[in-house]
Amino acid sequence: MSQKAVILKSIGKRYPFAKTPHKDVSCGEFWALKDINLDIDKGSVVGVIGRNGAGKTTLLNIIAGILKPTEGTISINSKVVGLFNLGIGFQDELSGRENIFLNGAILGADRREINDKLSSIIEFSELGDFIDMPLGSYSQGMRLRLGFSIVTNLDFEILIIDEVLAVGDALFQNKCFERLIDFKRLGKTLIITTQAMDLIERLCDRAILLDHGFLIFGGEVPEGINRYRKLLNTEKFFVGLPQQKKPGLIENTKKWADNISDWGKKFGGKEIVIDSVEFEDKHGSKTNRINTQDALRIKVYFTARDRVEKPHFGIAMFRKDGVYCYGPNTEFDGYAIQELRQGKGYFILDYSSLLLAPGDYKISVAIWDKNESLAFDHHYGYYELKITGPDNKKNGFLNMPLEISSSDVGYKLLSLFTNKRDSPDIDSDLLEDKFGQAMNDNNIRVECAKFLDNNGNKKDIFMTNERAKFIISLDFKKPVNKGRYLWFGIYRDDGVYCQGAAVSLKNSKNYRVLFPKLSLLPGLYNISIGIWDSIEKKFLMYHHGIYPLKMVFDKQDHGTIYLEHKWKWEVH
Amino acid sequence: MEALRGQKLNLIRELVLKDLKIRYSRPVLGFLWAFLSPLLIVAIFYIVFGLFLKVKIEEAPFVLYLMSGIFPWVFFQDSVLKSATSLMDNKNLIRESGFSNYLVPISIVLANFVIFLPSLLIVVASSLFIFKTLPVFIIFLPFILAFHLAVSMGCAVIASILYVKWRDLKYILEAVMYLFFYLTPTCYSLSIVKESISPVLFKAYLYNPLVGILTLYRISFLKGFAGQADKYMILPLVIVIQLIFIALIFMTAFYLYKRNKHTINDYLSY
Repeated sequence: MSQKAVILKSIGKRYPFAKTPHKDVSCGEFWALKDINLDIDKGSVVGVIGRNGAGKTTLLNIIAGILKPTEGTISINSKVVGLFNLGIGFQDELSGRENIFLNGAILGADRREINDKLSSIIEFSELGDFIDMPLGSYSQGMRLRLGFSIVTNLDFEILIIDEVLAVGDALFQNKCFERLIDFKRLGKTLIITTQAMDLIERLCDRAILLDHGFLIFGGEVPEGINRYRKLLNTEKFFVGLPQQKKPGLIENTKKWADNISDWGKKFGGKEIVIDSVEFEDKHGSKTNRINTQDALRIKVYFTARDRVEKPHFGIAMFRKDGVYCYGPNTEFDGYAIQELRQGKGYFILDYSSLLLAPGDYKISVAIWDKNESLAFDHHYGYYELKITGPDNKKNGFLNMPLEISSSDVGYKLLSLFTNKRDSPDIDSDLLEDKFGQAMNDNNIRVECAKFLDNNGNKKDIFMTNERAKFIISLDFKKPVNKGRYLWFGIYRDDGVYCQGAAVSLKNSKNYRVLFPKLSLLPGLYNISIGIWDSIEKKFLMYHHGIYPLKMVFDKQDHGTIYLEHKWKWEVH
Repeated sequence: MEALRGQKLNLIRELVLKDLKIRYSRPVLGFLWAFLSPLLIVAIFYIVFGLFLKVKIEEAPFVLYLMSGIFPWVFFQDSVLKSATSLMDNKNLIRESGFSNYLVPISIVLANFVIFLPSLLIVVASSLFIFKTLPVFIIFLPFILAFHLAVSMGCAVIASILYVKWRDLKYILEAVMYLFFYLTPTCYSLSIVKESISPVLFKAYLYNPLVGILTLYRISFLKGFAGQADKYMILPLVIVIQLIFIALIFMTAFYLYKRNKHTINDYLSY
């Protein structure tokens, strides 16, 4: 039997909260963890996964000895535990070098040990002359480099890494990965949290899934990741008081259908019955084939059998595999329908432009009670809609207007859906299991790739419907051959390909992708770029899903993309 | 155990160095400020009390009297006020590792002590310059410094722990420090106090630990001050009270730390 490095027995952690002036928010205390039982073998690599706020960081802090559990016992069979969490343990006013000593002392190393390892720490971090600059001038990536170098160069038997590796560039990420593999070979115990599931998949022997402070799964990695993905699809996380609009920005939305095996079924208490649903194209004719980026009207006829109070209407659109495209409802949109009396009526949802890629989609239509907990009638994934247009299966499911161009030769519009001739048929499936990874090419190097704000500064948080510009600067030693394309792709952070675009690679070094309206709904996204060789049909280089993008919105919604829409209804 | 103590000492040294570097690495005059700022304070007090209000002190030349009172006081006040918020100020350091939280306020006091040393040098040098000799009691200075350091550390730890849960403390402490500064005889002589209050109150005033430590400092700095003080009080009793005070402060600090050490980190995040 292998030795245990960490044993947790029915650990619980309660946070005391100071009384807030908001009397209605009763959060006198909060259990971040509850009844956690966990053994970690010596020399194993454990990935802790779960949604934001699930209790991952609290668990790691308890294992590292920084927080004391409110109940339960913990035993750590190792003297040295190192925790690495970006932005913690550094002092901005001091130089990188001075921070190495301070951080080392905090982590329990003495001056001699740090002096011995100083050169290897600096070398690994690749910070060069920056090491003597104040830390305040460092970027997040540089801090990561320094922190990671310090913590992995000191002799820890258990190393805990809390959700940081995503900040580094692809090269350094690979280096970190190698270093962690070395750690594993040396028989050290590693506990990591990250949202990058591919990292968990590649590195970990075991996955621990936390949710709402409970350990809901511990075991094989693929199974853990599967369960986590399912969890992401099933439930709104912050279960608070739904009728109370919380101030502040929405940071995530529901991104998957609840259960696609229920598609085609009808649910509900039948106080109201949906009689029929019609789709109309921009000319007003009934059809279930709509051209991409065209207008769509959905008309729903219903009969109210009983009087109901405060109902709301909702229509959701899914891709065939359950990816939630968009699901507006009258509650989110701020309409208050006091009651529906007995009788017939209809409601209409008008989309001005369907920014979805050609393909087959499922539509749910529902009339809910106010809290969306009880359906009067819910036709779940019941209707089919075909969006037509140039077929491009491998370009994601969104079709937002965008311009991708080389900024040196003037603007060149190339939307893959509208301009088939220029489309290089990029096979993004080749990257399927490479999310979060990079491959580089000897000739072509990416100098920078980032979103810019209006002043030309780097920006990675956007409001839904904000104008967004992504620039890519390349550098090549030799001129590039013909038939090469620069590809740009947006991925959701669960790996779903949203939209891609490409421009043929001239010998110009600067490219830009402009979204007049970036209408992605709140959540985390990742940008991929790559160089595609259309003759060899392969990627020469790629940085797949490593440029993070965060979307926020002041409005609650479901799905991935915001579609301009209007509601109308009439009750007889 | 040995290794753990080594770790703690190393950490304290790094924390003190960090504090000093942050304070003095950017200003052009650097560590010179450790001499300049106490001199500036004394200059201001001399102008206000010596020149405008014409305060007369029979015990010693006014400038020396001021220096010997203000410098130790500034050390104490800065130590306690800065330490009070120190756990919050350094929360990003504390939250990385399970090290003992009380090391942070202690390192702040030690950093302030390092800054206090140049001003001590100024007082001793000025005293030597003016009296041409130093009192024999100067040999007790290391003990008095140790008393003072111990009291400051104790108060610093207490304040820092209380502040984590009770954020009003900062403002209250600022006011209290201001009050105590004027209550202790830093810029007026003991005889003035004697004339203004009843003999019993005066006794209490003399033997309270804050006035006591000031008296001890002055005895070691100022030639002839011991003789003056002897008229008012029994010096050994002052020392005994001082020791009892230190013991009380330490016990309080120890008790508070023991009770709160596991929950401090919970409160630091917000």
